[in-house]
Amino acid sequence: MAPVREVVLPDIGDFKDVEVIEVLVKPGDDVETETPLITLESDKATMEVPSPYAGTVQSIQVKVGDRISEGTVILTLAERSAGGASAAPVPDTATRATIATTSAAEPPAPTPALPAALAEQRPPPLPSAEVVRGSRAHASPSVRRFARELGVDLGLVSGSGPKGRILKDDVTAFTRKALSGPVISAPAGKGLVSAVPPIDFSRFGQTELRPLSKVKRIAAEHLHRSWSTIPHVTQFDEADITELEAFRQAKRKEAAQEDIKLTLLAFLLKATVVALKRHPEVNSSLTSDGEGLVLKRYFHIGIAVNTDLGLFVPVIRDVDQKGLYQVAAEVQALSARARAGKIEPRELQGGCFTVSSLGGVGGTGFTPIINPPEVAILGVSRAAMRPVHDGQGFAPRLILPLCLSYDHRVIDGVAAAGFTRLLAEVLSDIRHILL
Amino acid sequence: MSAVEKTEVAVIGAGPGGYACAFRAADLGKKTVLIERYPDLGGVCLNVGCIPSKALLHVARLIDEIRAFKQHGIDLGTPRIETEPLRSWTEGVVRRLTGGLKTLARQRRVTVLHGTATFRSPHELHVTGAPGDQPQGEHLVSFEHAVIAAGSQATSIPGLPEDPRILDSTAALRLASIPKRLLVIGGGVIGLEMACLYDALGSEITVVELTDRLLAGCDPDIVKPLERRLRERYAGVHLATRVLAVEAHMSDTHISDKDSGELSARLEGQAGPVTQGFDAVLCAVGRRPNGHRLGAELAGVSVNEAGYIPIDAQMRTNVPHIFAIGDIARPPLLAHKAAHEGRVAAEVIAGHKSGFEGRVVPSVAYTDPEIAWVGLTETEAVAQGVRYGKGVFPWAANGRSLSYNRSEGLTKLLFDESDHRLLGMAACGPNAGDLIAEGTLAIEMGCDARDIALTIHPHPTLSETVGQAAEVFEGTVTDLYLPRR
Repeated sequence: MAPVREVVLPDIGDFKDVEVIEVLVKPGDDVETETPLITLESDKATMEVPSPYAGTVQSIQVKVGDRISEGTVILTLAERSAGGASAAPVPDTATRATIATTSAAEPPAPTPALPAALAEQRPPPLPSAEVVRGSRAHASPSVRRFARELGVDLGLVSGSGPKGRILKDDVTAFTRKALSGPVISAPAGKGLVSAVPPIDFSRFGQTELRPLSKVKRIAAEHLHRSWSTIPHVTQFDEADITELEAFRQAKRKEAAQEDIKLTLLAFLLKATVVALKRHPEVNSSLTSDGEGLVLKRYFHIGIAVNTDLGLFVPVIRDVDQKGLYQVAAEVQALSARARAGKIEPRELQGGCFTVSSLGGVGGTGFTPIINPPEVAILGVSRAAMRPVHDGQGFAPRLILPLCLSYDHRVIDGVAAAGFTRLLAEVLSDIRHILL
Repeated sequence: MSAVEKTEVAVIGAGPGGYACAFRAADLGKKTVLIERYPDLGGVCLNVGCIPSKALLHVARLIDEIRAFKQHGIDLGTPRIETEPLRSWTEGVVRRLTGGLKTLARQRRVTVLHGTATFRSPHELHVTGAPGDQPQGEHLVSFEHAVIAAGSQATSIPGLPEDPRILDSTAALRLASIPKRLLVIGGGVIGLEMACLYDALGSEITVVELTDRLLAGCDPDIVKPLERRLRERYAGVHLATRVLAVEAHMSDTHISDKDSGELSARLEGQAGPVTQGFDAVLCAVGRRPNGHRLGAELAGVSVNEAGYIPIDAQMRTNVPHIFAIGDIARPPLLAHKAAHEGRVAAEVIAGHKSGFEGRVVPSVAYTDPEIAWVGLTETEAVAQGVRYGKGVFPWAANGRSLSYNRSEGLTKLLFDESDHRLLGMAACGPNAGDLIAEGTLAIEMGCDARDIALTIHPHPTLSETVGQAAEVFEGTVTDLYLPRR
């Protein structure tokens, strides 16, 4: 007889009461170790919890919408012992976190095939016409049709009728709540669907349907929420980085000996700290009631990293306390982990400000979208050599375009211009970093 | 090429799914063309399926009741059956319904084209009228949306010769003659319904079924009273038996064995092969979807090996403006499922946010006794490891059933063990098919055992057994004595 094991939620970092947004297995399913069992969503990341054992799922103790913490029993599994010996649990049961924070800047990249774990879980075709969506929701056919018309997933609606039955009013109330602003909590792609009517594009030519990855769908919701709820303004400026670049080139070899790639981004992060110290409102968050500002005395800065899975914003901690080389080394390590899909949820948390650089691709400027609860984001385009008049004649100078998108509820135009100007000055003469 | 018909919606097939779809589409303001290859609307269901068979099965029940009440003081003599008036009465029932459909189509300004449709391209259908058919000729129908509702056809088994005495269900319903000895191949719904009909009309019936169960989709405890009755009345009910071959002996052939009839069938069961003689053979071994008969590839619509056209929740095929519904899309092959799917397709085409809302589709075998089931069966529950509880109420304790002179029926309800919600229902007995609607509604509404037990059912009716089965599960039943659990 196979031993029956309880699978509990492992340590997932300092998360508590994390919402289950997807249950990926059902009783009777055979799973291997590392097969994703459920998907959790915190404010920033989705995490798939992989199975620590191989075996057959017996019963599932959680459902979509439950909030669970470390130690919660997820399901029971009849373990399949390999060759008689019971398989040892895989030591690393850490959840694999994926994204997802926001920044507008995502260079177009060909979408590669998604790894199976992240690919859309398509329900298997059913022999009879059983509805999969919210299939156990306690609601009558008329309410189910009403929910379909409004694009509401009944799995997300709590019922107020006898024994939790979902009534028509519950669906209406859910819709009203979802429409009334930032309290919206439906995962991307669920809840309210977009108002764009479906169009049969095949009337115009050949088409192909490609499902969006989970990462992209969640990023889409964060981006949309930020874009539609925060009054964005973008301030543009330019920094003369001729000297900075000369210094960087001079130090590159030395850094390379320590396996450090000394990039412009490391300098940008250090310079940003100087500007944040002088403009504390840029290093803040609006309180949820909108009546106060939380000013931060720490300097954790996120960097937008484009990966095959979608966009990630890993956070470099305490940039103010670290040297240029250390910052450069951490940028390098976190980007690599993000690209490998191995970033941990805690590494995506706690950012004060985000830097998104498209310098590697090109362009002269863009308007990044703020990554809430932050209040500003710096976009950086490609530096270019340009003739600059120094009062006597034109001299070739390396000019870096800066684009600061800011939350106008928190930051005034004058302050934003001042912040950007200061940043440009610091970059022009990096000795400011020492001050 | 004659006429070119331009339309918003073209529906292929005027069966219960197709006409429901066409009518709904027209009601939603779409210009609709309904294409049907037979002269009458209604498809298999109305013309050669559900409706004529139910008319004749009513007659069968009447005959059986007349016979049964002989021993209770009502002797109407031996029924003398004349097939001609019976057939024309049945045809009258069918005509009334198909004529009604014609009127409904006209009132909605749905254009009905008679002919066989095949795809020419993703936006064109070619319709060929039957030769000698009205002056319809050939049509090219160009459409914005098409709905494939072309249904299914009876399948056969290898080893059956071409012979007028070898019938499919359509031929059997024509009542060309009443054979003395009838072999029914297939112990599913259609085979058993036809067996019941010809048994009542006086044929000696032998049923052969390849699997080890009659009505394979239903739980054995529900089928048992039917099986017992069939075994009492029929010459043979052979399970796990294969028909190896049927040989037709023409009347001028020399027949050596005086026991062999005009058709001899070689059957192979567990006891080894035997040869038996019959006067007619009915083949009812299932139906096959017509997916490969439409030139679907010219429209880019994918059809799977079995002939089904895969669809999504909105009934769309892989080509987004072409839909498929009913038998041709997916099992179960039932008219009431097709009609729901047809209306969903029409609504989606009209831009509504529609979908198939039904969680369960009920099934009924109009045998005597009737068998009906919906939702989860106990067999499935065990196989899937579902934790369930059940309530069974025997009709021997139901006054209405006894007043019908019948006591073998039962009603069974399956409940989720944790929240007591109804998962499935099955019933056996006269009019079980009408009772199943309550279970279907209860599942759709998410009723639990107490909801059903506390709902007042009228007395004396068969429907009481539904409430009482829930009471059995709840432990509150007073019409039975159940030892304490």
